[in-house]
Amino acid sequence: MFRTIILKFLYIYQRFFTLIGYGSCRFYPTCSEYAKWQFDKNPLHIAFIQTILRILRCNQLFNGGIDYPLVKKLNCKIKKDKISNIKYWYVPKGPNQFYLIKNFSKGKPC
Amino acid sequence: MLDKLTPNQRMILAVASSAVFMMIYITIFPPEEVQVDQNTTAQTSKVAVSNTKSTTITPSVDLGHDTSSTTSVSSNNSILATLTGKNYILTIDTLGRIDQKEMLEEKFADKENVNAKLVSETGAKPLYIRFADKALNEEAMKVAYTSNIKEANLIDGHVSVTLTQKLSSLTVVKNLTFYSDGHYDVDIKLSEDKRYYIYLGMHPTFSDKQMMSVEGAMIDTGDDHIITIVKDGDAENMTSYNGVNLVSSFSQYFASIFYNIGNETNVKVDRDRDDNPVVFIEGLQNYTFNGYIGPKDHRILHAIKPELTNAIEYGWFTFAAAPLFQFLLFLHDYVGNWGWAIVILTLVIRILLFPLTFRGMLSMAKLKEVSPKVKELQAKHKGDPQKMNAAVMALYKKEGANPLGGCLPLLLQIPVFFAIYRVLLNAVELKGAEWIFWITDLAHMDPTYVLPIIMGATMFFQQHITPSNFTDPMQEKVFKFLPLIFTFFFITFPAGLVLYWAVNNIFSIIQQAIVNKKFAAHKKAKLEE
Repeated sequence: MFRTIILKFLYIYQRFFTLIGYGSCRFYPTCSEYAKWQFDKNPLHIAFIQTILRILRCNQLFNGGIDYPLVKKLNCKIKKDKISNIKYWYVPKGPNQFYLIKNFSKGKPC
Repeated sequence: MLDKLTPNQRMILAVASSAVFMMIYITIFPPEEVQVDQNTTAQTSKVAVSNTKSTTITPSVDLGHDTSSTTSVSSNNSILATLTGKNYILTIDTLGRIDQKEMLEEKFADKENVNAKLVSETGAKPLYIRFADKALNEEAMKVAYTSNIKEANLIDGHVSVTLTQKLSSLTVVKNLTFYSDGHYDVDIKLSEDKRYYIYLGMHPTFSDKQMMSVEGAMIDTGDDHIITIVKDGDAENMTSYNGVNLVSSFSQYFASIFYNIGNETNVKVDRDRDDNPVVFIEGLQNYTFNGYIGPKDHRILHAIKPELTNAIEYGWFTFAAAPLFQFLLFLHDYVGNWGWAIVILTLVIRILLFPLTFRGMLSMAKLKEVSPKVKELQAKHKGDPQKMNAAVMALYKKEGANPLGGCLPLLLQIPVFFAIYRVLLNAVELKGAEWIFWITDLAHMDPTYVLPIIMGATMFFQQHITPSNFTDPMQEKVFKFLPLIFTFFFITFPAGLVLYWAVNNIFSIIQQAIVNKKFAAHKKAKLEE
């Protein structure tokens, strides 16, 4: 419930308000995108803390660059093994830790 | 040097340097309890209320707060005494109440140039006494008070007015001493002990009430100064409060306040027909307390009693807006003009964020080597913005050069922006505050539209000289129109806020111009090598 509200809010933010500070994020994925992935796949409190820490990191004292969310548990249920149905890639980082990378390719698997 | 720090150390540095702004207040101005409290009021006030309140059964309508219907005594020729101050006229009527306080200053006048009046024509007026005994009360409504003076000047010092009401079984003597700054001493003596209530009075509804400004009643209770606000239209059944430090009936800029009312005194908040709060306190046979009626001016209230500044509120954002106002007041003491104080405030925020911007500038120099590679990547990943962004970001990180400002400095502007908005909305000092040339009221929109246009123009120019890489042509189009959208958006905003944003843009432009120049010089130097 709460999760949905936050995701909706982030959607509206990305759609309409992000232009005010367009292109100022030093990271990939951008802070708002990062927040979306976090709230999608992590427990709420972790998503909150991680997102806040990410925003705090998003200033000139940090180099920026690529910074994917981390997840501890695999909670994906693959129904059809079509690549277009895959929402996130879980890339192992360490024991029980995965980078969360959104799948943007639609349709044709390569 | 920064490169040697660990990410955690840098994080701490980043947070610290951006938070210094708030810390300055704490060092220069000791934090006022109310500011801390406001933070938690949402929760605590409810608890506090349930501790002190005892909801009574008496239905409000019978109580007769509203004297307008029964005021046979207080018709048109009911003025007993008139006190003329430097910029106000205060009148006392035959019911021994403050009939009206009219502010003569032009800045408070409404659109039709009618002076601001601080007391509602209908409803209970300040210092009205209602007896608990119905028969006695009815008699009291018919017998006029007498006054020892008819007219007085209140330019400096104070004037004492003795009001007497002789009822068949009781004599009421109200000794009022009015001071030029708007506060007054009340000394009520009854020849016999009767139960009675004294009213705080109600404020009129101002026709040009601004969006988001709060009006209603405020009760400051306990040693912790817990603030309870009952907004107009939100008052519920009668509620009692004890241990009240001050109680205020306030509008956007003005307030009627009772203070020094005694710890044991019962303050009751009832509602009228429109669910507006009606405040009255229970008096004693011999009862003294203090009151204030006038603008919620920080300096005036502070001079009377520092605690009274608690009556100035900025809504739920008080915890940030009140310190911001203190800082503006501090700047105003040096420059003597609110407009310049806002300009300096912008500069101070810029300086505090300078460690961040400076580091950003340093990395600009490295961008030269990076830019051809960025172009390459953009060409390579054309049509796949996600991949392109990822590749560009990876490159920035590898080269240690990132031209982007980051989300934190941007997000930090939002609370500052909102706090300034609240201050401009509620601080009476900024009402009618001039800047230069055509700006005559920072708290009001610029009627000439010049300032919003300057704001839009500076924003456009800032965008123009700031490099940006768009992946979506639609977004790029909207982005280009943003200054125009903002200009329209800002048109109705208080001029002070537009000023802040315009000055902020100008500082950004200067900063970016320096960066661009450096970059160009660097490029040239490289070419000559």
